[in-house]
Order: sequence, then C-alpha cells, then structure tokens
Amino acid sequence: MKDSRGSRFPFQRLEARKRVDQFGKVILVGSGKGGVGKSFVACAIALLLSEKGYRTGILDIDIHGASVPNYLDVRPPLKSSVNGLEPKDSRGVKVMSVALLAGDNPVPMRGGEKQGLITQLLALTDWGPLDFLVVDLPPSTGDELLSAFDLLAGKSSLVLVTTPSRNAINVVSRLRRLARTEKVPIEGVVVNMAYASETRSRRTFPFGRTDRRFLEGALDSTIIAEIPLEPKVNSQSLYNVLHGRNSTSAAFRRLVQRWTVKEGHPRIHDT
Amino acid sequence: MHELSVAQSIADFALSEAERQDGKRVMEMYVEVGELMQVDTKVLADALNMVMTGPKLKDCRVRVQVTGASFSCRRCSSRWDMAEAKRQLGAVPESLLVEEPESDELPLHFLPYLYPAFIHCPKCGSSDAAVKEGEDVQIRRLVLG
Repeated sequence: MKDSRGSRFPFQRLEARKRVDQFGKVILVGSGKGGVGKSFVACAIALLLSEKGYRTGILDIDIHGASVPNYLDVRPPLKSSVNGLEPKDSRGVKVMSVALLAGDNPVPMRGGEKQGLITQLLALTDWGPLDFLVVDLPPSTGDELLSAFDLLAGKSSLVLVTTPSRNAINVVSRLRRLARTEKVPIEGVVVNMAYASETRSRRTFPFGRTDRRFLEGALDSTIIAEIPLEPKVNSQSLYNVLHGRNSTSAAFRRLVQRWTVKEGHPRIHDT
Repeated sequence: MHELSVAQSIADFALSEAERQDGKRVMEMYVEVGELMQVDTKVLADALNMVMTGPKLKDCRVRVQVTGASFSCRRCSSRWDMAEAKRQLGAVPESLLVEEPESDELPLHFLPYLYPAFIHCPKCGSSDAAVKEGEDVQIRRLVLG
C-alpha cells in the first residue's frame, strides 16, 4: 500500500494539460515591455486566423492590465456548463480573460497565486479543439510568463513585439533571453508603431526608423512584420480596422500568412 | 454544476497517479475544499461517487472536508474570516456572476485565486489581502493499493 500525502496535488495542472492537448499550435505574444501593443497584435492575429477558417482562441493572461475584451468587444457575464467556463465569442474567436470575471476591479495579486489562477483559467475553460490558441502575455518576465511557458510547453512559440525605440528593444531583449533559457522557440519580431502614414507616399517615424541590423542583432531574431501606427484603432473597432483599406490591415494579413500557408500547417480539425 | 467538473478532474488525477505509481487501485482519498470557493460538499461528494468508476477507482473511500478560509491584511495585519468575506462578496455586481443553468455563481466559485479583486481589509480598506488557507480544492491524501 502506498500512502501519499501532499500539501497540494497538482490535479488542475493535469486538467490544463488535457486542454492543451486539444490545441494545434499556441502563439505566445509578448514583449517584456509595456505599451508596445501586445494585445493589439495578439487580437489582430486571432481575428485573422479565425477569418481564415481556423478554430482559434485567445487567452489573456495580463492579470493586472487585461485589455483583450476591449479590443474584441466582449464583456461579462460568462456562462458555465458541465464542461467548464464557456469562452466568449468574438467573430468566431473564443475569448477568455480575467477581466471577464473580475470586470473593472483591479486584481492586486502576488507570486504563486498568479500561477494558480492561470492554471485554473486554462483548466476550467471549455476551449474544445482549437487549431490555434493565441496568448496575450503581460509585460515583465515574471510569474505569468513562466506559468505560460511551463503549461504550454511543446505547443508554443513566441512572437516578440516591440516598437523601433532602442529603449523598448533593450527591454524586449530580456524576454528574448528568458525564452532561450526556457527553450521557447521564437517566431520572430513584430515591430509595432513602425511608422505613420501621413499620405500614401509620405511616412513619418514617431519612434524613430527601425534599425533592422541593431534590432535583429539585439533580439537574435528576424523581423516578421512592421505594423504602422493606426489612429483609427481609437475610434473604430479592431475588426473594422482590419477590414479597411489601410496598411495596418495589409501588414497583419501578410503576417498571418506565415501560419496559414506553411506546409503542414496545424489545422487539426477539418470541418 | 462546477462540482461535477471538479469531481471529474479529481478522478482523472487519481487514476493518473495510480497508473504512474503502479497502484492496482485507489483505496482512499482525502479531498479538502476551501470555504472561499463556496462549493457544495455534498454535491461534490455525490459527484465523486458518480465519476469514481472503473477497476482502479471504484470502491475508493472518499472523504471531503471543508477548510475554513481566513484572511489577513499585509498593510495593517488585521485578520478576518469568511463571514466578513461573504459580506463583501454580497456586493459583487450581478453582471459579474457566472450564469449556470440553475443559479448564478460568484467568480470565486470557479477561480478562488481571484479573491483580491473582491475582498479587502475591513479595517484599513487595503486590497493587499492574503488568504491564509481555505482557498482552493486540494487532494491532501491518496492511498493506493
């Protein structure tokens, strides 16, 4: 007879891993730096993957500054069924975020509890089979990131988001180093707010011109997209911006092709 | 309804532990339920009896017990119990309650670690609260045959 006593058997971790087994690919969107547009990039990727017919979910683990529900125009309350919490639907994207449970309340949470919360959120959400789960990571290189790297290991790769600013790139390089030690593959770098189009032929560079050699050297990664600053994001829904005739939409559509036209793409469930 | 899903997760974990440790069957299991989750322990125990099936899980003796939740303030060191927490949880707006077929539940019923969003120190008002125990469902003991 074996008598095991544990202060905490990780039974919810097993449940979370079972959910992850139903995902084809996990795209982590992170930066380490705040204010560079991670959520904007993550939501745009999710919407366009869904539009291409892929079963797509987005998990917002920015516990202290969740903004995915705003970009995707979903709000509480959630519903629950015997299979768990039902994610909200936004144009075919399954959305889960702490903000859908906490609303506008701040969530002043510390250390290990964040790990518990992220595990529970992943374990309890009834994602069903997904071709893609996009994960919006918070700034910094703390508990949330380590939890995501750990729980989603083997399925995930990381999109680094930065602006052209050297200060931003220096901060993002810390996440790049963490990804290396945690053996998380890098998809590449999305340079957000790379320029602003004043007219069709005239561009300005509010954060400076992208120094490609410096950026790719500092982050040991290649640039996979340069997204212009899009003021319409403040007045229109992200969905409408992506469906307008503008260079932001065009840049995102080119970016998403890397996951949709590749041979052996992870469309695991043909409909 | 959440109780059934928790029970299934516990049963799945017990089975995986039996397999991992080459146990022939799970003989005894002690499950602790944090008061903060406000889980109906009778419903959870019934659900466990329903899902603990198959040669390795049937006839397992399951004990489910509630652990009282207690809180403290990191700012002023005040302490309080679940009665005070329940009073504060009564103010959670209806729009944040999770809709279940038969009733609406507090978010903490599903994600107890979310408590700092809803519970604050009754003395100084700080949200920098810590739950000392009784926040989560835990499997405390497994006896394998």
